[in-house]
Amino acid sequence: GAGDQSSQLLSRPRLQELVREVDPTVQLDEEVEEMLLQLADDFIDTTLNSACALAKHRHAPNVELRDVQLHLERQWNMWIPGFGNDELRP
Amino acid sequence: GTQIRSCKDEYLVPTSVMQARVKAIIARHNLDEPTGEVAALISHAVQERLKNLIEKLAVIAQHRIDHFIKS
Repeated sequence: GAGDQSSQLLSRPRLQELVREVDPTVQLDEEVEEMLLQLADDFIDTTLNSACALAKHRHAPNVELRDVQLHLERQWNMWIPGFGNDELRP
Repeated sequence: GTQIRSCKDEYLVPTSVMQARVKAIIARHNLDEPTGEVAALISHAVQERLKNLIEKLAVIAQHRIDHFIKS
């Protein structure tokens, strides 16, 4: 959530590496980098909290892949291949 | 059988750091600890999300530069 900088999961050098991977010509302002780090942090917390809510809704004792997958699909229309049983996908 | 993954298993967020965050949030909800795959999936997802944002930022910035050059 709104944690301070020290609680950020992603490091600035790792973000810069990703930026170079996406587009080597892109240069980000420091403020933009900071914002992306914060967005990544929020994304992780929101995803986890939603997955927990979905697990509870299933009356399950723990979060499973499908809880995370359901949130990612509904919220972001995102499907990450290679996790769980892909054969179940249409 | 062998699992084939189209994304490389190299994470943006270090596995231990991500697992610690998963543990902390799970505990807040009084749930048991999930398998390591949950942390791995979230790592891939955050990478996708950031890539998507960076791509959009690159397009927006280019658009701004093009406009600046023309005017």
